Amino acid sequence: MIRILDHTADVGFEAAAESPEGLFLEAMRGVLLLMFERPPQGGGCLRTVELEGPNLEVLLVRWLSELLYLVQEEGFVPADGSLRLDMEDCSLRARLRGSALDVEEQGWIGEIKSVTFHGLEVVREGGLWRCRVILDV
Amino acid sequence: MRVDAIFYASERILSDLAAEDYASLKQLENVATLPGIVGPALAMPDVHWGYGFPIGGVAAFEAGGEGVVSPGGVGFDINCGVRLLVSDLEREDLVPRARELADALFAAVPSGVGRGRRDLGLGRRELSAILHEGPRALVDRGYTDPADLENVESRGMLPGADPEAVSERAYKRGASQLGTLGSGNHFLEVQYVDEVYDREAAPAFGLQEGRVTVLIHSGSRGLGHQVCQDYVERFLDVAPKYGIELVDRQLAAAPIDSPEGRSYLGAMAAAANFAFANRQLITHHVRRAFERTGFGGSLRVLYDLAHNNAKFEEHGGRRVLVHRKGATRAFGPGNPELPERYRSYGQPVLVPGDMGRYSFVLAGTEGAMRETFGSSAHGAGRRMSRRRAKKAARGRDLIGELGRRGILVRAAGRATVDEEMSEAYKDAAEVVEVTDAAGIGKKVARLRPMIVVKG
Repeated sequence: MIRILDHTADVGFEAAAESPEGLFLEAMRGVLLLMFERPPQGGGCLRTVELEGPNLEVLLVRWLSELLYLVQEEGFVPADGSLRLDMEDCSLRARLRGSALDVEEQGWIGEIKSVTFHGLEVVREGGLWRCRVILDV
Repeated sequence: MRVDAIFYASERILSDLAAEDYASLKQLENVATLPGIVGPALAMPDVHWGYGFPIGGVAAFEAGGEGVVSPGGVGFDINCGVRLLVSDLEREDLVPRARELADALFAAVPSGVGRGRRDLGLGRRELSAILHEGPRALVDRGYTDPADLENVESRGMLPGADPEAVSERAYKRGASQLGTLGSGNHFLEVQYVDEVYDREAAPAFGLQEGRVTVLIHSGSRGLGHQVCQDYVERFLDVAPKYGIELVDRQLAAAPIDSPEGRSYLGAMAAAANFAFANRQLITHHVRRAFERTGFGGSLRVLYDLAHNNAKFEEHGGRRVLVHRKGATRAFGPGNPELPERYRSYGQPVLVPGDMGRYSFVLAGTEGAMRETFGSSAHGAGRRMSRRRAKKAARGRDLIGELGRRGILVRAAGRATVDEEMSEAYKDAAEVVEVTDAAGIGKKVARLRPMIVVKG
């Protein structure tokens, strides 16, 4: 579940899921929706991402920053994947499937410079995990 | 708040601020809570909602003592800025071959995602030299005419750059992006002078009615973004150690006089030098594109200035670190930092507008030196989110509309053009009127677009 937020200068989204793993994958879809009019639905390229952080919010920023790097610097656009999150040592391992960047086909919207900490939230409420992220464009 | 917060606005600008629920002014209040701030926290007339610091924000901190440095007060696009070139051409000379020139410029300067510059072949040592010296490191390769550097803020080299303080990932992101435009609000515009306001300063700046100019807006690309990201995280870790309480994590800060603060300042200066080199390399390729289209002659650098950085300066008899995030240095007449040719008039201040209307050239003033730590507005400032702009552009052919008004657009994709439509921005003329009326910048000339290249 993703809701794109209006922000004068930047872009942002809120995401919700039933588990922290689901939330991180939803957040990935949030970023893709802000970068592409038609994010890829599949593809034959595979990538593995392993990250850790001091807390869940920093880990989310690192996760989304890594995705920006993969798309904008390495030309890999994830479509879906599986993700394992270890809450105890605050680390994740994701296996991503996706396609090569195709500006025309995927409807490239524009560059995202970075993931900010401004108004960043990762919370658990009402049985759902939610996050709010603002990105610098 | 430790100090006052002051902003410059007109009734119309106030209504734009109200529409965003004064979010940018709340951010300005947050800036005023930071330790060591030498007041007041300031917002220029193009202020709008950013993250951490508002865009259009200016804040100075004690150079020692409690003073802090905040990567969020500089922004992700370190030393993003604009460079204005002035030609020997008249508008009429260019019109017959404008399409050819637009195509040549679009081909010469990579823009948009994945269009890096593969012809440079920079090794790590060469990139490190650029981080250390800026465009000066490109002289031997023929990309920099030393005369260009006379008209670049800080002569294109921030002191104290420490290439070792820049992460490997930042190096990797920078290697293929030097000499590229990027996307979003970055652009390359061929313009002409359509009105002159100051009959003394304009000729000194080389501006006269009908004269063709080129405005380049770009920054430190992925290298600068990564430097900011690396240090915001690092400062979030260390801020508690220094007793710095943060009302917004994007304001993460560390004392200027601390290992972390010094390391960031070294990395920031390195990214700033990369940005100056980026605009220099784009200049080189713009010159070649003009030549290839049959327009020989000079494209002189009128001025190159930065929007996003933190610099040590003397104000009111004390040394301070001035953060400008989406604001322009605007030193007044007589300042020894200025090139000799401009010293009697004040620093050229470049205020880009949107691609459909106009941009302005102003001059720095004594008023800015007294009131705003020698700072002024940096652009029109957005008034519409990108999503709203895209909605407003639905069903319209913006490139066709601009074409019928004599403005040729070349863009990597339609989405950027929609998001950057004129209506998404405040009227730059309004921002400039407030700046001029407040005495923090003096109107010199207005420039109209002819060719726009967008990422």
